[in-house]
Formats: sequence, structure tokens, C-alpha cells
Amino acid sequence: MSRYAMVIDLQRCVGCGSCSIACRNENNVPDGMYWSNKITETVGTFPDVRYHYIPTLCNHCEYAPCVRGCPTKAMHKLDNGITMHDPKKCIGCKYCEFNCPYGVIYFNWQDPHQFWRNKNQLLKGGTASPREEVNKVNGKETPYYNPEREATLPGNRSKGVVEKCTFCDHRVSEGLLPRCTEACPANARIFGDIEDPKSDASKLLGKFRPFRLREQIGTNPHVFYIRGYNPAQYKPTKGGV
Amino acid sequence: MSAKKGLYGTWMAVLGLAVLIGLYTTYKLFADGHVLFNTNDVIIWSLPLGVYIYLALASSGLTILAALPLVFGIRKYEPFAKRLVFLAIATLCGAFVSIGLELGNVFHMIYIMLSPNFSSPIWWMGAIYSVELAVLVVKFALMHKGDWHSGFSNFLARASFLLAIVAPLMIGSVFGITESRVTYFGPVMSIYCLLMAFMSGTALFLFYSLMVNKLNGNGAPADLYDEIALIFTYATAVVVGFTLLKFAIESATVIPEFLVYHQFEHAFGAIRGFHTEVLLGLFLPFVLLLIPSVRASAGGKIITSVLILIGTLFMHMEILLAGQSHPVGPKAEQFPEFIKYFPSIWEFLVFLFALTIMLLLYTLGERYLKLTEVPE
Repeated sequence: MSRYAMVIDLQRCVGCGSCSIACRNENNVPDGMYWSNKITETVGTFPDVRYHYIPTLCNHCEYAPCVRGCPTKAMHKLDNGITMHDPKKCIGCKYCEFNCPYGVIYFNWQDPHQFWRNKNQLLKGGTASPREEVNKVNGKETPYYNPEREATLPGNRSKGVVEKCTFCDHRVSEGLLPRCTEACPANARIFGDIEDPKSDASKLLGKFRPFRLREQIGTNPHVFYIRGYNPAQYKPTKGGV
Repeated sequence: MSAKKGLYGTWMAVLGLAVLIGLYTTYKLFADGHVLFNTNDVIIWSLPLGVYIYLALASSGLTILAALPLVFGIRKYEPFAKRLVFLAIATLCGAFVSIGLELGNVFHMIYIMLSPNFSSPIWWMGAIYSVELAVLVVKFALMHKGDWHSGFSNFLARASFLLAIVAPLMIGSVFGITESRVTYFGPVMSIYCLLMAFMSGTALFLFYSLMVNKLNGNGAPADLYDEIALIFTYATAVVVGFTLLKFAIESATVIPEFLVYHQFEHAFGAIRGFHTEVLLGLFLPFVLLLIPSVRASAGGKIITSVLILIGTLFMHMEILLAGQSHPVGPKAEQFPEFIKYFPSIWEFLVFLFALTIMLLLYTLGERYLKLTEVPE
């Protein structure tokens, strides 16, 4: 049985955000939500300062708190380890979002893509309204709507339900990579089956010492981070004296 | 007599208007979505959920109190039994209104039955409270028919008592077992909820009964209320002790999440480092209850129970908000470090609707269901 995981090479990651943009387009992610996100941190005082950038997404935990807590099994595990959500079963209690230790689940407080529902022209008679733009390209709620998302999930989720990263399960089932992985210009994301020792992901986990977010709480997340980029240099001394 | 009739008519008209406002609120929430709440992806649960916890726990407390005559056979409290069971039902109905409007997609509630998740504390909480409501309704119907102590009726009384103990534990576990928020304190939350349930249920009964007695000019003997007030004092003492213990542990720990939490607590302000709502809504009434003359007077009982009832709601809200007020993980990128919250008008209207349903049932029950009846 496959067990999908993602390895993110922090030395290769340049923090360009392509993963997030590609994810939004692939999954029709509404404004204000981030299936693919980041944690940034600046430490130190100028000029001795350091900026950390950690790309984040759903960790597809083995012992997922969101799955355990969901009262209707709307949040559930697939056999390949992907944590999946069924909006048809979601009652909108938001317990998964409350319970997620990684802050990667979002709730649709209103119908998504509000901007594109607007029928008002910015300049009357001069510009098209957002709704007209959508209609012009036969889009579905957005002009850049991706119908391929519909294979396993409603293309646009409705108000009153949660949503989150699915490791692009609709692409993975077709033998494709998750969109964020494919779009990464630095090849910093390595996706694969870690039950298969020959997969690149397995090899990297053997070669480098990975870390995971909030490992201590025992959720067994399946997004691993390896290496870390630090260009800083310092003058060698004997014990700093 | 006619003045009383006029007052009743006015009261029912006010409740009717509030029901209409509540129905409009329901329509708006499901038409426009929960964007009408002052919530976001950090403050996920707000006033409607706090009201649900508050009313559901009070209902459990009323059921536990009803067990004194119905389960433990303390017959002198039988004049309170029918009213206690009815108040428990009505209060739980109010709680269900609040949680129903808090849910994002109430039309999919069917999946709670079709696709239950037995590892979910929310599922157990919903299931237990639903069964408790059904058991209480049947028990009340039997009592209304005069069947107080048949085998089946006794079984229902015991079942409702056990359910009323377990349900607050499940509410506590909804918070206590979250991996993401250790500040909810694990199993401590379940015990806390159970203690709060008994205290608030006793306060609600005392306040309500004394107010009804004042309006109707009759009621059970005063010494019985003195005994309930003593039980109320003990319940409050236990909550005070437990709260102090909780504060002591919170203050002593150096777990990083707690150190962060300390920066964000006190949603309702503090007096010399102590939560305002705890000082005014728990410690103050407890001190008042320790004074025998206050405890013996009807006014003292009413004031202390009102302080506890208000304080309990604020304490639930404080716990609910303090655990959510700072963003988890990458949400810190799009939200400020600390999120302030004040309910929107729609959240207040949900609160009003829940209270209205509860008060409407109280009013109708008091008028038509002979709530002070005792078995022959």
C-alpha cells in the first residue's frame, strides 16, 4: 500500500511562492484561504539578522486530529495516507479547523470568490464587471476555474464547509505530481511513496535528517523538511575568545 | 387579576416578536453565511458556541439536581422535581437553537446519524445530549401523567442522571483533547465543565423558582429553598477551589504555549491579575453565600444566583476566546498576533433566539403543565 509524503528541501526553496499560486489555480482556492502557505520568521538584530521561510501545507498526519474529531467522518483518510475532506458530509462545526495543530484548514464563511460575483462595473460603460469577465470566458465563478478539480471534490466548495490541501489527490490518482511540486522552479518539493524504499522521497529521508512541524504532539505528519539554507559566514576563532 | 393577564399578554407578545426576529436571523445566517459573525479562521467559535456550552451545562446541572428526589429518593425535594425536569428540557432546547445556528451547514446534520465517528467527542456530545433530551421528555410525560416511580420511570430518571454526568464531561473533552491547544488543559476541562454544570444549574433553578414565587405569590416552603441555597454554596465552593487550583497550575507552568497564552488571556479585563468575571461572577457571590443572613434571604439568593449565572457565561466565553485568540501555524502570516473579538449583532440575535425559546417554554410550562405537582 502506498503512503504518500512530501519532502521539502529548504536549501533549494527560494521562497518565491510559486507553490501557493499554482495551488490556488489548480484547486480554485478562494481569497483569504491558503491550502499552500508559509511560516516566516525574522530573528536577530541588523546586521546580524536571519530570515527563516518554511513552506507549509496539510501535513496529512497519520494520526490526524482533524479526522479523529470530525463528527461525521467528512474528514477522512484515504488508503494512500492522504487526508481527504467530503464537503457533502461536512456540517460546518469547524472542529477540524479548531483541532488542527498546523493551522492549515479554512472555513467558507460565505460563498467563495465574492469578488467575481460582483456585477458592478468599476467605470460605468468603460470596464467590464467581474461577473462579465467570468461569463466572457465561460468560467465557473472565476475566469480561471479549473474543472479538473471536480474529479474528487466540488470544484468550488460552498459556504458552510471547510477546505484544505488534498496533496492534489485528483492528479496523484492519474500518476501526476501535486501541482505545487510540479510548479516549483527550484525542484524543492519531492513527492512520493515512502513505503517504497526506491522512491526519491524515501531515499532523501534516509540520506538527510528530516524534521517535521510539532513532532512532539504525536500526529506523525507526512510533510518532511530537509536541509536548511544559510549563506552567513563568520571568522574562525578559538572558542570565540 | 386583569393586570396579571395584561402582563402575561405583553410578555407573550414580546416573546412572539423575539421568535420572529430569531427566525429572520436563521434565514439570514443560512442565506448569507456565517460571515455575519465577527469570526474568522482564528476566532473560529464565538458567542453562539459559548451560549450553547452555557445552556447545555446548566441543563445538565438541573438534571443532576432533579436526581435528588428522583434517583436518590430524597422525597422532601419532590415539589421541585417536575419543574427541574421541565427546566432541564427547556434549557437544553435553547442550547440546541444556539448550536444549530452556530453550525455552518445544518442541512447536512443527517450525516451525524448516517456516518457517525465514534472517536469524535463532538459526535458523542451531540448524541448524548440528544438522548438526554429524549429521556427527559419521556420522563416528564410520565410524571405529568402521575407515573413518578414505576420501574420504567425510575429507569429513565437514572438514565437521565447518568447522561447529565457524562454530557458535561464530553463538552470538556471537545476542548481538552485538542492537540493544537494545550492551554485547554486536557482532562481538567471535563471536570471543570461538570462542576460548572452543577453550579449553574442550581443557580438557574434557585433564581427561576424564587422569581416565579414572587410573581405567583406561592411556592414550596422557604426552608427547602434554604437547603437548595446551601447545596448551591457547596457547589460554588467546589468551583472556587477548582478554579484556584487551575490558576495555580497555569501560573506555575513554563510550557511555551501557556507562556504565550498568558499574554492573551483576560478577554474581559483583570483586577490585580485576576480575571474580572471570576472575581465578580464567582468569588463575590461565593463570599456573599458564606454570610448566613444573605443565604437565608430571598433577595440574597436571587442576587448571588444572578451573579453566578452572568459570571458563568463570561467564564465560558473567556476560556473559549483565550484559547483561540492567537493564530496557529501559518495563519500568523495573515492575521495579527492577537485577535480581539466582540460579537456581531447577528451573534447577539442568536443568543436572543436561544433565550427566547427557553423562556417561551418556561412560560408555557409554568402556565399549563403544573410544574409544582407532587406524586400522590
